[in-house]
Amino acid sequence: MRESTTPPRSDSVSPDTQHRVEQFLYAEAELLDTFQLKDWLALLTEDIMIKVPIRTYTHPGTEQSEFSENGYYLRDNYDMIRERVGRLKKSYAWSENPRSRIRHVIGNVRITEVTEESYTVTNNQHVYRSYGDTPENDTLSARRDTVLQRGEAGFKIADRTVFFEDSIVSTKNITLPLL
Amino acid sequence: MGSSSNSEYSSRVKRMIEQTGSGIDEGSFPLKIFNDQDIYDAELRRIFARSWVYLGHMSEIEQPGDYVRRYIGEDPYILTRDETGQIQAFLDSCMHRGAQFCTADKGNTSHFRCPYHGWTYSNDGTLQGMPKKAEAYQGLDPEDVELESAYLDTFKGLIFGRIVDEGPSLEEYLGDFKWYLELILDPTEKGMTVVTDAHRWQANHNWKTSADNFGGDNYHVFATHQAAEETDDLDRGPWKKLPDNRRGEFNHLACTDNAAVSYQITNDRETYMGYPDDITEHFNSDLSEEQTELFRRSLFYFGTIFPNTTVVHAVQSGGWGGPWAAIRKWQPRGPGEVEVISWWLVPEEYEDNDAFMERSHRGWESLSAGGAFESDDLTIWEGISESTKSMTLDIRESKGNMQQGMDGMSDEVEILEDPMHGPGEVTTNGGFYDERGTRTLLSSWYEQMSREETGANSGEQ
Repeated sequence: MRESTTPPRSDSVSPDTQHRVEQFLYAEAELLDTFQLKDWLALLTEDIMIKVPIRTYTHPGTEQSEFSENGYYLRDNYDMIRERVGRLKKSYAWSENPRSRIRHVIGNVRITEVTEESYTVTNNQHVYRSYGDTPENDTLSARRDTVLQRGEAGFKIADRTVFFEDSIVSTKNITLPLL
Repeated sequence: MGSSSNSEYSSRVKRMIEQTGSGIDEGSFPLKIFNDQDIYDAELRRIFARSWVYLGHMSEIEQPGDYVRRYIGEDPYILTRDETGQIQAFLDSCMHRGAQFCTADKGNTSHFRCPYHGWTYSNDGTLQGMPKKAEAYQGLDPEDVELESAYLDTFKGLIFGRIVDEGPSLEEYLGDFKWYLELILDPTEKGMTVVTDAHRWQANHNWKTSADNFGGDNYHVFATHQAAEETDDLDRGPWKKLPDNRRGEFNHLACTDNAAVSYQITNDRETYMGYPDDITEHFNSDLSEEQTELFRRSLFYFGTIFPNTTVVHAVQSGGWGGPWAAIRKWQPRGPGEVEVISWWLVPEEYEDNDAFMERSHRGWESLSAGGAFESDDLTIWEGISESTKSMTLDIRESKGNMQQGMDGMSDEVEILEDPMHGPGEVTTNGGFYDERGTRTLLSSWYEQMSREETGANSGEQ
């Protein structure tokens, strides 16, 4: 079983809402790509959880989800995310020194649930990572579920889960800007 | 076979093996062995085919038919519990044409059917039948056909396997390290259980690089993990009982014949690695007084059993929380590549304690490809892989250094004779200033690499 599929709901939101949600995701992606992580942090609610579940290829026909419900590469609350952002700024955070060149390409943006407080948004993404003075690069393909809290000042990210295609992580680490 | 011709291959490999052997007492080793195709090919045959290689934990295959795919060297095996409850491990290779019949990483099945011609095996490895037997195989007795299986042995729920059935039994091989393993992976009455699927990531370094690092290298923490060390105290628990430098009587290294573990303790006998207070009710009464005493004061253990099994049990990691435990396998994927597999374990008594599980997950998460702590290691190890394949190190036969703890190197390292620290060769400050762990693991490497090759197609002349 893959991640749960969601019925198309394009009729349930106005083109304007769809446009605003997409523009928000694109702008957010630029903050990640350019490591403007302090500004990015300001887009998160303080009760956010970001999760990257483990994926395992299970026996064909099994009802069990491929995605673990209790095992994650990353399952972080706001405090943990803030710490990650803080350490990435340090020159001796070797995982990102030299810094990766990252580019999000986001597509298939669908709003799957609408409440008075929030939109639940699903998107597909290819995140390209180039590193150091080598021809090596990784592309991380994923589906991403985001809950956007609606507020007068705009959207805030209240929850996010990134479902990678890979069952074996094939990039050297999962740094925040790759999500 | 390596990249060179047969005789060149074997004389070159022999030379590097002998240089490793003769360098151990001098505290040096040929850097090239950390990324070399010929050495790697020899390791698969000489080390991985006949060492005890960790395959899995009993708790992963509790029901008949449960199976997981695991590797010995680069050979894919299916570890399963058959219908009679016996544990088995088969090579994923049909005895007809060699096709693979297992596509999943885990599952439950009583039979495996080869997709190529439909030969079907029971999960005890016996051939049950094939299509059109009456027309095509009248004279073949299915009982004469069995999947290739690994020789298995277990210790405290850990299942190990090997391809060649020679050398010491698992218990003999683990030797004095059993004392530490009991303490690290069996401290409570009900024992430990694997919680969920493993973290798996492919990394660009040789399997020995990380096996060595987890076999007692605390010395790297200050440089490599400086950024993570400065993480605010989100959740360090009783780690705070330590003085800042954590050295001296608080840090030790224990080496046995084929394993090395560094550990950190406090003077507080109520530390219990940060476990909830009721740990005293669950403590394993089979442990000796000395083991119990050491566990009471314990903060962490990081150890490697040669060749590629690592065990961890720790109060926290990088300020991220805990206590947490893990078994790791450095799965070789080439001379400069490894798949890291990290299984999270908890004492069964705490499996339903949500608050505990949340903190324990954080510790485990911190040391993974997604982790705030480990990601710095991975970048550095990648560089080792890049440099050690260099022609410069090959031609010049350049040596790396592992002299820490040898005569004249440190006033801070002392050999401890104290039953509380177990039967290994234990040094105070050993995690920081003693490279005995590296020397121990490379001694095991030398011993196995220099032993005559086994099998009909051995490269030995």
